[in-house]
Amino acid sequence: MADLISAVSPPSRPEELYFERFGVTQEALRGVMSAALSRGADDCDLFFEHCVISSVSMADGKVNRASTSIDLGLGVRARVGDQVGYAYTEDLSLAAMLAAARTAAEIAMTTPGRAPVNLSVLGLPSYYPVKERWAGVGMERRVPMLRAWEAAAFARDARVEKVSCQLVDAERVIAVVRPDGRVAQDFQPMTRAVVSVTAQQNGRRESNLYNLAGRAGLELLDADRVNRMVNEAVDRTMFLFDAGKPPAGEMPVVLAAGASGILLHEAIGHGMEADFNRKGVSIYASRMNERIAPSFVTVVDNGTLDGSRGAINIDDEANPSERTVLVQDGVLKSYLHDEISAKHYGVAPTGSGRRESFRHPPMPRMRATYMEPGPHKPEEIIASVKNGIYCTSFSNGQVHIGAGDFAFYMKTGYLIEDGKLTRPLKDVNIIGNGPTALERVEMVGDDLMLDEGGWTCGKDGQGVPVSQGQPTVKVGALVVGGVSA
Amino acid sequence: MSAVPSLIDPQKVARDAVALGLRLGADEVRASVGRADDVQLQRRGGRLERAQEARTFGLSVSLFVDGRYSSHSSSDMRPEAIAALMERGVESTRLLEPDPDRALPDRALMGGLDEASLDLDDPAARQRDPARRREELEALEARAIAAAPADLISTTAHLWEGRSESWMCLSNGFEAQSARTTFGWGVEATLKEAETGKLPEGYAFEQAVHLSDRPSADALMAELDEALSLTRRTSACASGRYLMVLDARVVGRLLGALLGPMSGGALHERRSVFLGKLGEQVASPRFSLFDDPTIPRGLGSRSTDGDGLLPVRRALIDEGVLKTPLLDVYYARKLGMAPTTGGVSNLVVPVGDRSWRAATAALPEAIRVTSFLGGNTNPASGDFSFGIRGQLLRHGEAVQNLSEMNITGNILDLYANFVEAADDVRLNSSTRSPSLLFDGVSFSGA
Repeated sequence: MADLISAVSPPSRPEELYFERFGVTQEALRGVMSAALSRGADDCDLFFEHCVISSVSMADGKVNRASTSIDLGLGVRARVGDQVGYAYTEDLSLAAMLAAARTAAEIAMTTPGRAPVNLSVLGLPSYYPVKERWAGVGMERRVPMLRAWEAAAFARDARVEKVSCQLVDAERVIAVVRPDGRVAQDFQPMTRAVVSVTAQQNGRRESNLYNLAGRAGLELLDADRVNRMVNEAVDRTMFLFDAGKPPAGEMPVVLAAGASGILLHEAIGHGMEADFNRKGVSIYASRMNERIAPSFVTVVDNGTLDGSRGAINIDDEANPSERTVLVQDGVLKSYLHDEISAKHYGVAPTGSGRRESFRHPPMPRMRATYMEPGPHKPEEIIASVKNGIYCTSFSNGQVHIGAGDFAFYMKTGYLIEDGKLTRPLKDVNIIGNGPTALERVEMVGDDLMLDEGGWTCGKDGQGVPVSQGQPTVKVGALVVGGVSA
Repeated sequence: MSAVPSLIDPQKVARDAVALGLRLGADEVRASVGRADDVQLQRRGGRLERAQEARTFGLSVSLFVDGRYSSHSSSDMRPEAIAALMERGVESTRLLEPDPDRALPDRALMGGLDEASLDLDDPAARQRDPARRREELEALEARAIAAAPADLISTTAHLWEGRSESWMCLSNGFEAQSARTTFGWGVEATLKEAETGKLPEGYAFEQAVHLSDRPSADALMAELDEALSLTRRTSACASGRYLMVLDARVVGRLLGALLGPMSGGALHERRSVFLGKLGEQVASPRFSLFDDPTIPRGLGSRSTDGDGLLPVRRALIDEGVLKTPLLDVYYARKLGMAPTTGGVSNLVVPVGDRSWRAATAALPEAIRVTSFLGGNTNPASGDFSFGIRGQLLRHGEAVQNLSEMNITGNILDLYANFVEAADDVRLNSSTRSPSLLFDGVSFSGA
């Protein structure tokens, strides 16, 4: 009984309605949708969610902290054109679900809408098959894992003073139910592991971390990845002792392959989310089919990359996930659409309607955003810079959608002098304007790498897991937050 | 609210969870239940674009079992689900390693301020007519459209209101109950700048604990007008060191940079630039920072803290001296110190006696920072770097709107170079600080 209620277990048969185990019948679903459409809404969706997140942490040499979080509820959205009524409930009794539906329905004020048809569970692709679920991995197996990470971190460098480790796993089932009879149910796993290190050298302390994340089970944490996580956490901390600040001002910036996809995410990705464009408030709103970057730049947002943190089998409006080409050979080709924006533009949804939880209505969001490989070798890109910086790791970023101004925070990097990497650098914000930065992409490497870290994208108060990647890229000029004399 | 009437008695849920935890073998239990009603409305283009309502519940439980600790939360309030959560919680806690520093607080330190004197629960929340909310929002949007500059392309008006209640119940007999209301509204607008093709945006959002304290539509319009004026024709000025006027609306970003290294977790993990500096000068003697949870109707005020400790007004930094680290019960035990509080409430910086304009009138150049874009702080070293927007000032007057610039430095140097606080404190914020002036800040730009 305990497991049935507090643990997620995927439907045993494809046609099984997952939330029937919480007493939600087909008849109830049709009744709730009828209530949502009762005042004349064009359309509605029911978004059910059951999510269990477990975390275990190690600090001070002991695995002595654990937590569990359970989320269960229903979000009801009623739509009239681009107007949205939304309500949610954590109580899945019929009375509570109907009350939520009637609240959402109040956005419309006409005559009763259409009646829902019989429901049918959609078959979905499987972009994140799980080999070993965390549900079967007890504390007695997790504790030694964290102990081993900690021991390896201490063994890596004598300057390590403190190590903390955390393992978080989430198992989530969503069900999207539509009046046209579609029911999309998806089992969405997520694993995240973090090692944080504090080290001391000559009385100075530095701290840094490395993390792994992906839609997978225990198999995500294979020996190679775990070794990399521990070694990078330690090495990136030690790097900071010798690192300084670059000079302040505008200069060429080379972004190392991998996490530098944060440039794409902030400078381009958000501006491609079609809700901003249909409202006319994105700097890319009127630039469809125009050249916005050099011909060797192709930018993709892809929800189908196996096991990636940004992968989704289906979006949160029950539309299929896909690989969406945003910029093809430098030309703007598509925005990221939810159903409202797709209808506005008269195109098909791109499977980008995502939401943080049942407490939030969906909107266009990124999944895994990256730049396709280009024609240049990474070493020739660095060699082409007389004076600039080379960014190797990042922590966060932000964008002003309308002005197009974006920023990202370089945690570690190097100064480039006469085409060579010289002084190590740390803790610098880099700022630019999205369209200008795209035009200033001078070289793109052939070494595309998707970052393996646990990125979460925030928009309008909602966080969703995303991936990002990029080959080595040279931007002719960005403003680097260095130190003025 | 049109949510279905609930049969859930939050206080009973909390008490039952404590009792169940003890029956299952826990030595100590803390349970908190929260209930919140929430309304969000949004208008754009002369129509209601989004209407959202919900009543939510949540239970969180801390379990102390055989010297071990775990925490659990759930939105599933069915008794059988809570029982399952507790059973699994107690079982899994036994498999962890002991942590002798985990325990409920000393009962003598626990307590609550008088809810009536804090005045955080506005009766207006329960008498609010839903139609009245929509009328107010419609009127606000109409004001924004009527006052719009010719190059406005989009305006969106927002209104949000809520009432939240929480019940805390501990196995040592301590119980606390609190309620608070929030009334907020705001406008955002986007312009099309003909010269550059850019679509700069500005916004004004304000909220209060009591409806009668919510800033007026006139105040919002004035704030929006200034925000939009700051976004026009922006560019970077020359890199260099300038006196920085940190606007009162955004001062929280750099005050927040002080709080991370003050936390018990950072101090214990030795990830703090303040390590070993308690009682030492860490800022200019002109700078003081207080945490005050006792302010009536304060947005950050509270009758008890997350551990159940009695809230107290404290100097975090007094005349530049680091006085109070942020220690919850757990990290206080780890560090062998007395607990203070794990998180701040209302941050207060004493108000100065002249405007930032007067304070910069004699300076050939200074930069006023009015918003941030990206950036971060390294709590271990104190290094920071943030993207900024603002204004270049000459003799206190704005001569250029700035964008695509960064400030970079170390928080110890920054606060050592604190010059003075202006006289423009904002009361509709949990950061009750006026604009702050710092000398010799490194700006990178053109």
